[in-house]
Amino acid sequence: MKNKSKIIILSGIIAVLIGISLLYYRAENPHLRPAFTAAGLFDKENPDHLAGQYTTIVDEQGNVISMMARKVSSGDEIYTSEGRHYRIDRVEGDRAVAKFLEMDSQIVAYNEFYANQSVSVLKDLAEKNPGTFAVYHSHTDESYVPSDGTEAIPFKGGIYQVGKSMVDRLQGKGFHVNYDQTPHDPHDNNAYTRSRRTAVNLMKTNPAAMFDVHRDGVPDPNYYRATIDGKNVARLRLVVGQENPRMSANMDFAKKMMAAANNIHPKIVKEIFVGKGDYNQDLMPTALLIEAGTHTNTREEAALGVSLFSEAIPAVLGVSPAAPAPAAPVAKRPAGTTTGAWKALGWIVGLTIIGGLGFLLISSGSLDNVKKRLGGFGREFYSFLGPRRLAARKPGEPEIKTDHSKEADEVNNPVANKTLRERKEELTKD
Amino acid sequence: MERFPIGIILLLLASVVIYLGLAQRALDRMRLSDRGALVIIAAIIIGSFINIPIPFIPFNTSVNVGGALVPVGLAIYLLSMAGTEKEWGRALAGTVATAVTVYVIGSLLNSGATVEPAGRYAVLDAIYLYPLVGGVVAYILGRSRRAAFISATLGVLLVDIFHYIWLLRNGAPGNYTVAIGGGGAFDTIVLAGIVAILLSELIGESFERLSGGPGVEGRSPELVQNLKGPELNTSGEGDGDKNRGEGTVASSNDWRKVDRDKNEKQE
Repeated sequence: MKNKSKIIILSGIIAVLIGISLLYYRAENPHLRPAFTAAGLFDKENPDHLAGQYTTIVDEQGNVISMMARKVSSGDEIYTSEGRHYRIDRVEGDRAVAKFLEMDSQIVAYNEFYANQSVSVLKDLAEKNPGTFAVYHSHTDESYVPSDGTEAIPFKGGIYQVGKSMVDRLQGKGFHVNYDQTPHDPHDNNAYTRSRRTAVNLMKTNPAAMFDVHRDGVPDPNYYRATIDGKNVARLRLVVGQENPRMSANMDFAKKMMAAANNIHPKIVKEIFVGKGDYNQDLMPTALLIEAGTHTNTREEAALGVSLFSEAIPAVLGVSPAAPAPAAPVAKRPAGTTTGAWKALGWIVGLTIIGGLGFLLISSGSLDNVKKRLGGFGREFYSFLGPRRLAARKPGEPEIKTDHSKEADEVNNPVANKTLRERKEELTKD
Repeated sequence: MERFPIGIILLLLASVVIYLGLAQRALDRMRLSDRGALVIIAAIIIGSFINIPIPFIPFNTSVNVGGALVPVGLAIYLLSMAGTEKEWGRALAGTVATAVTVYVIGSLLNSGATVEPAGRYAVLDAIYLYPLVGGVVAYILGRSRRAAFISATLGVLLVDIFHYIWLLRNGAPGNYTVAIGGGGAFDTIVLAGIVAILLSELIGESFERLSGGPGVEGRSPELVQNLKGPELNTSGEGDGDKNRGEGTVASSNDWRKVDRDKNEKQE
């Protein structure tokens, strides 16, 4: 009987594990095997321009929406600068077909909002509230082939100069910028675990916003290249992590940043990609990941790109929707565009309550017990609120009462009671 | 953080309260009293601001008190309190399995200079991968929450050590910063430990409810004793427990029932 249920549980777990691994490698993965060969794993010379190393995302009519230097899977989302919201529907080899969902009312509203702001007002507000910004790089080897000669320079990639141009532009406007140049090599997913430590360290300086500057890896330089004021510029992609519990707050910030930057320099931000990750954005609602061009753009193009982008940062943080904005468009915001922070708050509190109740139900086994436990909640705090029970006790009464009366009666002497109390302290809730 | 609208301030406050609340409830289950769990949380928060540099070894290496020393210390304490060598072995096996899995997925599979933003097959962020793997492995091996915590916490540490070796072998510059647990209360070490406990608690409680409690027949008395709730007998610990360990399934189930009822009353 016991063995049987053991087998059932074990096979259940195995089934779940198989399911998870299937999910992981769904999207019929033709390039799975090369990823597992040890030579391929460590091969820095591996040509990244091979077909299959990136995915082109098209809409249902076949127009190219975006390119990704990674596998995409159905469910990934993209917001274009005009506010078009797409979700990947199916993946066919190197092509992914995205479904147009809707015009994102928030981006449309922000586009309109920033279009009506006069630049001088923004500047004024920003100057009144000089803040601190933080910049770091999770992937510190990232480089630009035309300028650096290679796509990766371990520990000191060209990305540092790109970050520096952003920092210089902000500092030139009188802001204080903490630029952490700690390397986090190698270029992998665990780099975010390492850069998390840098990011937390930067947070101690109380920045108004924190930027993790990257470059993309799609082979086509023209995908990002644009001409602004007669100069070649690498445009940017903003990345928002899906696995951040407060994602909607960061999403809100990303949308505002995109709208504000595109208002000053049209189309400087190409799109917002909603990626499967956290990218340390759970640390701050104003943490953002920026992809400055791709490795086939020149470093100078990318540096100019982030520099132009950073002109909009003070405007966004200086004119928050809660501040008495000079223009009316706030009121014009279409219904249903709750601010991201409130949305995130609702999600977190809601999930906590539902999760907590669910857990209570599982761990106590029945509704009656749930009631009992909730009723006894206050008792948890007795030990912190002073010796209420001892004080209320009548002289002469046994120290440990009713709860364990059986045991207490059996050994009703002070020494035993003391031992009991110590044992209980030690093992409570174990 | 001036200029943040009220929504964001509330959001930050709520998240911190929920995070610390969850952490307290989770640590509560680690052979700690309520008060002990609070002390650990306080130590993690205060310790977040203390970095201890490690001299005489390569790179700019430091260890954070709140992000590494306290959680790792707690994990080692739990290991030392483990009932049997088997329990020890399971926790350590879980640790190694977690570290290897996360290293393979995070550093080998999802790497490459032009893979952005986080690896070709990146589906789950490392901060969730550690506790997921740690929790599942620990549960399969020993159905133990403590082992889940130990696996996740020490797993992160072990990956840090792998990374350190990588740095040595790849000629990283001398000023490379290795900040173990540098994220303090928000470091992956702490986060992974807490999520792993919650996860195994959830899986564990569900399974145990469904299967009528963990089997104790034929298990060594030390393990059985650790499964139990607050034990309130004063006659030497060993004897009573041994008797119980050797009991039949029926009688041990009765014991558990008594124990559970007792708990319900208590709470």
